[in-house]
Amino acid sequence: MLAAEEDLANRVAQLAEKRGLTVYQTVNDILEQALRAEGQGLNLKEALDRRGDMERAHEMGLTFTVEHLYYQVVDAAYGRDKEKVRDLWRDMGFWYGKYFKGKGGEPVKDLTDALAFMTHGSQFTAEKGKGDELTVSCINERYTRGYTEVFATFIEAAFQVLGYSTVENEASRGIIRIRLARR
Amino acid sequence: MTKKQPEDTKLLVLPGVLVDRLKETSNKRGTSLSGYAIEVLEEALRAEKLGATLGDAVDAYRMREIHRGAGAMVVPRSSLGELVKDLKKSHAEDFGKLWEAAGRWYGRYLLGKLGVEEVLPFLRQDLLTSWNLDDVEITDGDEATLRFTGFMMSEEFTDLLVNYAHGLMESLGYREVERDSLRGMATIKYMRVKKG
Repeated sequence: MLAAEEDLANRVAQLAEKRGLTVYQTVNDILEQALRAEGQGLNLKEALDRRGDMERAHEMGLTFTVEHLYYQVVDAAYGRDKEKVRDLWRDMGFWYGKYFKGKGGEPVKDLTDALAFMTHGSQFTAEKGKGDELTVSCINERYTRGYTEVFATFIEAAFQVLGYSTVENEASRGIIRIRLARR
Repeated sequence: MTKKQPEDTKLLVLPGVLVDRLKETSNKRGTSLSGYAIEVLEEALRAEKLGATLGDAVDAYRMREIHRGAGAMVVPRSSLGELVKDLKKSHAEDFGKLWEAAGRWYGRYLLGKLGVEEVLPFLRQDLLTSWNLDDVEITDGDEATLRFTGFMMSEEFTDLLVNYAHGLMESLGYREVERDSLRGMATIKYMRVKKG
């Protein structure tokens, strides 16, 4: 027997009713899932907090790929036609900028969150500076020269749509630092 | 199932078969069994509010962690598609080999991470998600079949996935015996390679 506060017990009972199960079955199912997560070394709270990541990625037109393969593809294309690849990333940046602008909410924050999500494993920051300035940095030792340059172009273009112009753009292999100011 | 208790508490019956495992887990975490169970129930109710179940959330998170551990990154789908299309003529063979090698590596990684029993069931959901497919079927056994459909998938991506699957299934102990593919769909048959 588990002594639970009345409110919690009632909510569990409501959940059971919604699922068309008994309270006992519902408690059993929930605890089984929790133990399964524990057995896999997963943190339940974090699993829940991050549950939407996959859906979010799908909604934003993102896909998962093997990192080193992606860099090889980008570098092969970049080596062949830099301008064309830069244009492609600029267009994608504009697209994402418009996507977040059109979605409402807080476009700058949403774009920053999306960039943080896309650059997981890198050191990504977006810091407000003096006045309306914003400095976006991304450091990842695995980024190739070609990828660093096109990704910097992508970031710059996305923020341009949200009303920022570039004050400074430093991109060298593995390091991106873009200083932006609101127009 | 719930009994009214004094001081605004109710008793919930815990499944007997789970109690020992719950005790073990709560001990590991340094909490009481009831503290742990209540925390879990609160999380389950939170999941419900968010429109998910605890099980779905755990599965999605686990997949994300496995991808992360395998060195996957999140990229705009269009970028990869455009580039692969552009480079197809000059790099088709190289890319085919690269994706096959990546599939082989990933298969070994999954075997180590999940164990042989769990790999194929996991792969179905994994391929659906990571390759943005509309349908995936995998039948297990000495003769296995992988069938996938992606209505919006380009010819180039289809080829890459076929190569990737070739490497992946090979590392799981399957030899490809038949392949039928065209843009956005493929059916590939395999035989389990007998050991020894």
